[in-house]
Amino acid sequence: MKQLITPISEEAISGLQVGDTVEISGYILCGRDAVLPKVIKMIEEGTAGDLGVDLKGQVIFHTAVSPAGVGPTSSNKLEIESSIAPLSAAGIKLHLGKGELHPETIEALDRYNSVYAVIPPVTALLGSKTTEKRVVAFPELGMEALHLIKVDKYPAIIGAAHGRSIYEK
Amino acid sequence: MKSDIVSLVRDTLVEAGSTFREDKKEAYRRAISKEQNENARWVLETVLENAEAAEREHSPLCDDTGIPHLVLEVGPDRAVTGRMLDEIREGVKQGLRKLPGRPMGIMGDDSHRIDQSGGLDQDPAGVEPAPILIRRCEEDVLRLHILMFGGGPAIRAKTLRVFHKHNTQVVLDEIVNWAKEGVAQLGCSPCTLAVGVGRSHFEATSMMLQAQVDGRYDVQSEMEEEITRRVNEANIGPLGLGGSTSVIATFMKVGPQRASGVRIVCVRPTCCFEPRIATVDL
Repeated sequence: MKQLITPISEEAISGLQVGDTVEISGYILCGRDAVLPKVIKMIEEGTAGDLGVDLKGQVIFHTAVSPAGVGPTSSNKLEIESSIAPLSAAGIKLHLGKGELHPETIEALDRYNSVYAVIPPVTALLGSKTTEKRVVAFPELGMEALHLIKVDKYPAIIGAAHGRSIYEK
Repeated sequence: MKSDIVSLVRDTLVEAGSTFREDKKEAYRRAISKEQNENARWVLETVLENAEAAEREHSPLCDDTGIPHLVLEVGPDRAVTGRMLDEIREGVKQGLRKLPGRPMGIMGDDSHRIDQSGGLDQDPAGVEPAPILIRRCEEDVLRLHILMFGGGPAIRAKTLRVFHKHNTQVVLDEIVNWAKEGVAQLGCSPCTLAVGVGRSHFEATSMMLQAQVDGRYDVQSEMEEEITRRVNEANIGPLGLGGSTSVIATFMKVGPQRASGVRIVCVRPTCCFEPRIATVDL
């Protein structure tokens, strides 16, 4: 089991292979369909600095954050998957969710030395491994706002890295 | 009418959202011992570990805590009153707050609720239960089953007519094909396949719901076993990562049929946590 602590280094990502099981610790960002396009727009407009969070080496977990906890939504939803390339270009090193990604997204991850990891939808376990949470931006979106949470050893498996996918038949 | 219906329903909803029944835990243990794919085994072990944590903490199995679906069984000499239905509804509200359910009730008029422009109700109790299903039972009880339906299985479920050609195998083949497609897209597998066969879309869906009430992991019919086996041969695996455990079991209920070349079939590939169900006698 490999340990990944945010901010994640370029070297740590280079050493990951599809099928590796990992544990993720540190502060990570959470966002999904509603908020990720807004973050992309901020990056395009050069205002991402207003988020107050350095995107370099960060993790984006594709989840809502509600009183019920956190759990992955499908990463191949249009708004989410289309965020993976531009967020990787902006420094995000690991995209955390579930489901198969398209080949062009896997190529984009490789281009920016970023990876995609699949996390089981184990909300109760994740709750015991989540110690802090706060809204970073777009509070009007409620549970779909951009959140920053502190996690300890979230379990995941590398689903796409270096142009390969765990879903390849 | 018992005065404690509200609290019984409240606690039963929390149990439904946070607990695996024993036969389900045992089904997972069997799957873990048989699964040869290392990634698949890791997922199965993690899902079971999650179930144990949720039961211990009385906390949600999944952050999509689901939409309450209720089945009320009425024994020979029992009566259901409107006041009783109100108490059940209040118990559901309190249960959603206690679980806690994800606040995902959409506010506004018909149009606002469709396009979600009316905003979210921040109260978990803003999630309305689906229409209650009432059926007769032999025991002299009022028995309520609460099931929590998540969004992922709803996206991948299908209810459609099948021309059976007077051959059961034709219908089973179609169920298997739909299930393979749905399970592959679901993400949160392994599934329990819930299948209903009826004379109308309403009846087929109702059978699918009742199949989840009546189904047992340790009691499988020949048709249920065949469906499970054939879907598992597709090597989709838990979370789609490969392996032989795409489906833990199939729960199938066949209702009355009409003299016709058509059967209406409903297949819901329920996620790794469903059926999220608990039962209480009121």
